[in-house]
Amino acid sequence: MENFGIVLAVLGAVLAALLAGAGSAVGVGRAGEAAAGVVTEDPSKFSKVLILQLLPGTQGIYGLLIAFLCLSQIGIIGGTFVELSVAKGLLYFLACMPMAIVGYWSALKQSRASVACIGLIAKRPDQLGKAILFPAMVETYAIFALLISILSIFGIAGLPV
Amino acid sequence: MAVLQMRKLRIYGLKRNRKQILEMLQRSGAVEVSDIPMEKEETVFLTADVSASQSLFEKERKEAEEALEILSRYVPDKGSPLAFLNGRKPISAEEYYAFAQRWEEVRKTIQEILSLERDVREKEGEVRRLETQLEGLQPWLKLDVSMRFRGTASTAAFIGTLPGSRKGEDLERELEEASPGLAVSVEVISASQEQTCVFLLCPKEQQEQAENALRAQGFSRPSSPSKVPPAEKARELSRTLEELKKEKKQREEEIARMEPFREDLKYAWDYLTMRLEKYQVLGQLEQSRHVFILGGYMPLKEVEGLSRKLEPLGAVLETEEPGEDEDVPVLLENNAFAEPVEGVLESFSMPGKGELDPSPIMAVFYYILFGMMLSDAAYGLIMVAVCGFCLWKFKNMELSMRKALRMFFFCGISTTFWGFLYGSFFGDVVGAFSGTFLGQRQDLPPFWFSPLEEPMRMLMFSLLVGVIHIFVALFLGAVQFWKQKRYKDLVYDIVFWYLLVGGLILLLLSTEMFAGIAGIAKLEEPAGTIGSIAAGIGAVGILLTGGRESKNPVKRLLKGAYALYNVTGYLGDILSYSRLLALGLATGVIAQVINSMGTMMGSGPVGLIAFILIFLVGHTINIAINLLGAYVHTNRLQFVEFFGKFFQGGGRKFQPFGVHTKYFKIKEDK
Repeated sequence: MENFGIVLAVLGAVLAALLAGAGSAVGVGRAGEAAAGVVTEDPSKFSKVLILQLLPGTQGIYGLLIAFLCLSQIGIIGGTFVELSVAKGLLYFLACMPMAIVGYWSALKQSRASVACIGLIAKRPDQLGKAILFPAMVETYAIFALLISILSIFGIAGLPV
Repeated sequence: MAVLQMRKLRIYGLKRNRKQILEMLQRSGAVEVSDIPMEKEETVFLTADVSASQSLFEKERKEAEEALEILSRYVPDKGSPLAFLNGRKPISAEEYYAFAQRWEEVRKTIQEILSLERDVREKEGEVRRLETQLEGLQPWLKLDVSMRFRGTASTAAFIGTLPGSRKGEDLERELEEASPGLAVSVEVISASQEQTCVFLLCPKEQQEQAENALRAQGFSRPSSPSKVPPAEKARELSRTLEELKKEKKQREEEIARMEPFREDLKYAWDYLTMRLEKYQVLGQLEQSRHVFILGGYMPLKEVEGLSRKLEPLGAVLETEEPGEDEDVPVLLENNAFAEPVEGVLESFSMPGKGELDPSPIMAVFYYILFGMMLSDAAYGLIMVAVCGFCLWKFKNMELSMRKALRMFFFCGISTTFWGFLYGSFFGDVVGAFSGTFLGQRQDLPPFWFSPLEEPMRMLMFSLLVGVIHIFVALFLGAVQFWKQKRYKDLVYDIVFWYLLVGGLILLLLSTEMFAGIAGIAKLEEPAGTIGSIAAGIGAVGILLTGGRESKNPVKRLLKGAYALYNVTGYLGDILSYSRLLALGLATGVIAQVINSMGTMMGSGPVGLIAFILIFLVGHTINIAINLLGAYVHTNRLQFVEFFGKFFQGGGRKFQPFGVHTKYFKIKEDK
């Protein structure tokens, strides 16, 4: 059981990459379906709907980022393995959770906004600025989660537990 | 540097000069034409009905477009992938008018292409039909009589199909068993899983009996039997097919030979577009027998130039200040630094009545915020190089494209600046490369500080940028109120908020806890007292004036309380700027991930090759993703946090009567 700390930390890192990545994959896929429909009708809208399709994809990248930060802090990446107490491992696990959970749900919800805005672009291609904004609103919360996860992971390293 | 002043105008001209005047106006592109409200009694003036000509032009333009499309299908319009940067090809006005003489000729070319294409389509349909027919004949090829053969003087013949795969003897036996006394001879011509083609003979007198027996077996005659034996028919069909295909090929080649006319077709499209627009204006003119009047709007600074051009054409230009409640179009003018963000502003909305053009201030923040989010010196330099090269190489680029590229050029400069401040150059490529391949890790030192090492400091800085951004937005709101002479609103909606938000920030920073979070020394007295007094004045002010449009004092107070609650909105707005940290870190950390993946293969030659490959692919992806992210979130901060404080928009963009062509640009000879 003395090595359980590292298990918890890796579990957290993996979940951040896994959940946020899965959410983004579903989201980008869903938006892609809608985008393909629009391009069928009017190929000239390709670049516009592509931007909207990519918007729910950032959560997966943020998840990857958190996973990488966490893994490198505990020495899985980079080589220098550090002894990890159970408490510290659990802290790393918790630090990863905002990104994992918020990342997953925000990607799904953002994809809905993206799909709706792809519909908007189909009818009113001149309104791209506004259409990007609606999905970007959802992303704000993924960014906040990313922020807290990053700050926590950096902060935990120095804690005397 | 602002919203241009507009003048309402009337042009009075003689009808015999109408064509020249309109063409001059179209080329100058300085006037937006609108309907003239006329008194009903002034029956001398009438507007012409141009809908018939317009729909004719529209039809012809559609045909020209179709012809162009057909032509590109057979002879693709070759062009470099960067051709879209080239812009429209400039031609002189003479060239344009010379084309008008040739228009009839070009119209014939268009019709020719269209009819050739119709012919090709027809032939294609015919080929398909014949091929189906030929396919239907395949099972019958071994039959050596006509498919309509019904028998001789003493025999009756049945030619047709039976469902399923059958054998001749089996069928003979079954038929004879089912109908006693029947004598048949069956020859199977072809058999497949689905059907069996048979040739059946029986004595003439048994014809009816045989027919009944066959029907019970599911016999059916072919739907379109050929008169000649199938093999011969098939040969005939193949010959016709061959010919048809050859003819089709000829037609296609004929279309391909039209390639030299491609330019003409493009001309035609542009020519018709211009005529279409001219006719639309024509329909808005008020005309009497000899005189016409054109009404509209134009920027004040172009009035003089235009009236000088109108003089030789015997027309008079009259301008006046537009009325208060008129729907005046908006045109912006900015210097090279601020102009690029006009596009972003436009995608939100043009400034409404009485609003400032926020572009110059917005440009400053746009470049700063973008740079902070992308924050990698190398990525910034790449942006500067690519945009700079395109701007330098393609001088004839369209204005909107030029604006966009110039915007990213400035964003690139800012990105480079912040990248060096944060010590990020392809992430930590300098350290990663020197550590792996040169033996000693030598990091690029940041000019200021590294956000990865001091994230809290970065967070505080981001929020500070946010506070400045929001306060500047409030200041612009104040300027707007000042210009509209709404001094009371200025105090109620701006000054009180300054006091409240500013006071609260002071108050927070003078407490132990928040100063600790921010990592700065706690502010000493009297900062806290000043802060609480300012916040108090602001809060009471907002509470009393926030609902000032209500007469009922209770309602007014409640509305004021609700307005005060909006302070949480300010909190959210300021925290929203933490994305400057998050996105900045995202760029840097992903770049680091790529670099450390690149160095995983060790320091040998294989490692070096792997490093280069991973470096190229990884950083290309990272720059693309983060460019998109920085663009989207800079827009968001501008639209929501910045514009939300002072800018409503709702203005209508100035849409002049001009040359809106797709392929050619008419040079104005001065």
